[in-house]
Amino acid sequence: MPKVFNWQIGREMDYLYEGKRPKRQFAMLLDTNKCIACQTCTVACKTTWTPGRGQEYMFWNNVETKPYGYYPLGWDVRILEKLGVQDVDGPVYEGKTLFESAPSGERILGYLPDDRDYAHPNVGEDDSRGDMPQGALLEMPHMQWMYYLPRICNHCTYPACLAACPRMSIYKREEDGIVLLDQTRCRGYRECVRACPYKKTFFNPVTRVSEKCVGCYPAIEQGRQTQCTITCIGKIRLQGFIGTPETARDDNPIDYIVHHAKIACPLYPQFGLEPNTYYIPPIHVPPRFLVQMFGAGVGDAIAGYRKAAEDEKLLGALLLFGATPMIVHRYEVQAGHSIGYDEKGAELVRVPLKEAIHVRAAFDEAYQAYRTNIT
Amino acid sequence: MATRHMAAGALALLLLATAGAATAQMATLQAIRTATRGPFLDPEAAFWQQAPAVTVAMLPQTITTPSDPTPAVSSLNVKAAHDGRWFAVLLEWADATRSDRIVVDQFGDQVAVEFPLVYEKDALPSPMMGNTGRRVEIWQWRAAFQADLARGRPVDTHDLYPNAHVDVYPDQVLQAIDTRPYMGAVGVDNLITRAGRSPVLEQVAEGWGTLTIEPEDQQADGKGVWRDGVWRVVLTHPMKGGDGDVRFVPGEETAAAFAVWDGGSGEVGPRKAWATWITVELAR
Repeated sequence: MPKVFNWQIGREMDYLYEGKRPKRQFAMLLDTNKCIACQTCTVACKTTWTPGRGQEYMFWNNVETKPYGYYPLGWDVRILEKLGVQDVDGPVYEGKTLFESAPSGERILGYLPDDRDYAHPNVGEDDSRGDMPQGALLEMPHMQWMYYLPRICNHCTYPACLAACPRMSIYKREEDGIVLLDQTRCRGYRECVRACPYKKTFFNPVTRVSEKCVGCYPAIEQGRQTQCTITCIGKIRLQGFIGTPETARDDNPIDYIVHHAKIACPLYPQFGLEPNTYYIPPIHVPPRFLVQMFGAGVGDAIAGYRKAAEDEKLLGALLLFGATPMIVHRYEVQAGHSIGYDEKGAELVRVPLKEAIHVRAAFDEAYQAYRTNIT
Repeated sequence: MATRHMAAGALALLLLATAGAATAQMATLQAIRTATRGPFLDPEAAFWQQAPAVTVAMLPQTITTPSDPTPAVSSLNVKAAHDGRWFAVLLEWADATRSDRIVVDQFGDQVAVEFPLVYEKDALPSPMMGNTGRRVEIWQWRAAFQADLARGRPVDTHDLYPNAHVDVYPDQVLQAIDTRPYMGAVGVDNLITRAGRSPVLEQVAEGWGTLTIEPEDQQADGKGVWRDGVWRVVLTHPMKGGDGDVRFVPGEETAAAFAVWDGGSGEVGPRKAWATWITVELAR
């Protein structure tokens, strides 16, 4: 089996195909600290892509409450249990990936969910973990906690779905790294559904073939960010392209946040797929849980995030979240503004690092009236 | 496991029942000539009593990944016949459960027979779906397609989940042409999505992963009947197809190989039981 380099686990690993990176790689940043699980992204995706027959319980985008929310039921704890206890503490992952854990006669360690596992997309909503005894005070990290995890297909560098398909119906686009499932070629074997540890390939029982998140590729081709990104009312997302640690550009906001400031982490990097959605981890959650979910860099990521105000360039990148529907290929911070540019260098957006503050006097002289604080 | 024991028991009964007519353990299948006219769409037609049966041992597919080291079906009972214009193969096997409802964790029963596109006794294609330059034709019968035909229309959500409630679908508010993007593989005419006029797909292959449906050449037909723990499936095809199609000539021979999937055991794609070539001799 060929060896490929996975920078997220800091080492080479086995993969079914030879490692060839696309010309550029679709990526998304998600700030979990800002997500309120309003599901606007979920609905935007649903109405755009999956309102059809056989897609009733299919959510290419979903937001689940961690630690007790799952879609489909138990997706992460089930594959973590199969993978077994692994050492995830160091910068180089010494444990086994899902490819390296493949049972005899299989290409990858996986499991096929039950039909009913998809029946409660919002199970566990707002359920929190931990005790809060009488008289206790919340400290950081919180002893009682939950947070929201918005999820799409990770458009992995080393997709398990792609490796698992015996018909090679799944391909990774050279131009943007988006992973697509050929609807004319698929025969509904569900090997991809079994293989994807994030369970972001789905089976449509009416068309009898599998379907998955298409990364809103028609929008990407027009220089536009995905539906889930541009509809996010909390401005928690930024979608664009990411380089590797070697090719990262400091004037690409995604590269700056992931590779330079290192405040965003991949989801379950130990699985070995090099997923390309990156999460700014929730700052109030116990580190042990976060290390398992986001890898060894999560502690530094939180420390860096808390000091974001001291790094003008980082602040500028963070302020581009939700600032424009277009993909920001380059940005700079200049004269108190973060300025985003498109691929051709045209200015897309200009965001002030600090909003102007207006103070209104409590007493209105013109009307001889007190202003009350109502909204 | 209980299912497999039951299946084995039913198979023993099946073999006893056919032992009289069978030329067991022979690697040659005699295709009788029948006065009954094709296409042969009745697996329980009387003339099949006259056709000698060959018992084909089905092997686990463990050569490529993903594999199936413990397939549910251990043997197929095979017969063949023709009328000079139509050729048919009858396949019988024990299966305690009829599986024709397909949702994410449920798979359909299937059976397939393959023929070399060009028969050369000393240069057969790989029995595993052919190899480059040595093409095979594969007829695959699907229980889910049989259920589609019995229903008289393609499967819909309410067939699979009778209590489902859905407010509205795009095809209920948009013009037909607009709804194709909302129909996934149906919208791009993927023939795997539903039965056409027959429950059998006519396909070609030159090795694993190359199986291709021939949209312009779907002449294979057939029918499967499940009764008392046994599937009886007939697959039929004109003896003289079009250009590039497999041909059957009275008095000559060809080869056939087989695959079978037990949906109830989660078998699909490469997770199957298979068998290598046997000779098929067509009566004059």
